[in-house]
Amino acid sequence: MKERLFISDLHLSAAAPELFALFQRVLDQHTQDIDQLFILGDLVDAWIGDDDDSAFAQELKHTLAALPKRGIELFFMAGNRDFLLGPDFLSQIPATLLPDPTIIEVMGQRVLLTHGDGLCTDDVSYQAFKSQVRSPDWQSQFLSQPLAQRRLTAQHLRELSQHASATKAETIMDVNADAVDSLMAEHHVSVIIHGHTHRPARHPLSDMRERIVLGDWSTETPPWACRSGSNGLIFQTLATLS
Amino acid sequence: MIKISTTFGDITVELNADKAPITVANFLEYVREGLYDGTIFHRVIDNFMIQGGGFDTNMQQRATKAVIENEADNGLRNEFGTLAMARTMEPHSATAQFFINVSNNEFLNHSGKNMQGWGYAVFGTVIDGTEVLDKIRALPTTSRNGHQDVPVDTVIIESITEID
Repeated sequence: MKERLFISDLHLSAAAPELFALFQRVLDQHTQDIDQLFILGDLVDAWIGDDDDSAFAQELKHTLAALPKRGIELFFMAGNRDFLLGPDFLSQIPATLLPDPTIIEVMGQRVLLTHGDGLCTDDVSYQAFKSQVRSPDWQSQFLSQPLAQRRLTAQHLRELSQHASATKAETIMDVNADAVDSLMAEHHVSVIIHGHTHRPARHPLSDMRERIVLGDWSTETPPWACRSGSNGLIFQTLATLS
Repeated sequence: MIKISTTFGDITVELNADKAPITVANFLEYVREGLYDGTIFHRVIDNFMIQGGGFDTNMQQRATKAVIENEADNGLRNEFGTLAMARTMEPHSATAQFFINVSNNEFLNHSGKNMQGWGYAVFGTVIDGTEVLDKIRALPTTSRNGHQDVPVDTVIIESITEID
């Protein structure tokens, strides 16, 4: 039985060195008995391409690469902030890029993993933006620009996103219950693990299904994560000693 | 007050009809009908909650009445030893299934009137029988009929009765 740890929504960036230090502490203190680490999107706050030569990108690579060296398999699923993080970067770790959604098995039960932004179907303008930036045309056009230009565009997109989040009603940015229902039905699963909403919870659902929402990271409180293995699914915080 | 008599002992719960009038009235209707008698705690997760009142020993679902309004905005918190209603993802969808928190589950509390923030309505507190709770939450679990966290030794709710 593989012991797995699931995290998401770290939003690491060069501007938040303390958060990066927390990530390193979590990796030091919570992966000793782990076989596989799953990062379900928004590992970083923005990603301008796998050819990013910044000190931050190098440090991230170095930090992640320590895991496979210790025998831990690393899996990455793109989120809405790091959808450009791809095979070129991941192969240097090495880590495996997961499609969204991905189905895994935990104790004989099918578990669906998704970042979760696709479930926010009420946010029509975000979904339109998403289909634009996930299109091969947009991506090749963006990636053909010089790094400096891409950094400016990323900064602009981040500001737009922050502005949109601040002005949109909370209900719009929620996951849509019907979207969750149909995704789970389509893939014949009774368990879903996702992030994105920054509303960590394990839900006591009455319909024999299980929904675990991973937490966003901050240096204020330990992040919520999920473990699976010989003890089934566990929803827990990752407290660290500094 | 109500007494939940289980095959692992009795749990006494004080219901809070002041803060959760709809939920308590709904729960007591099921109690008086005997709907809970012979159901099980089908989902037992230590450090989280124990959930029951919906399925019988053959994992067959009991027929329930209409869904009720979610009273999670009543200020009661999902703390260790509190009784709350289970529901589907839809906030106002509780019927009969309930759970007892066996941890301080902050993330189940009401934080906003939207799907993610509604939370789970607390309507009672365990005042006697925490040692029974401790026994149940520590039980080994397995997967049964494709569902995880089902206790290996079935925890049967023999009856739920109103007491003075």
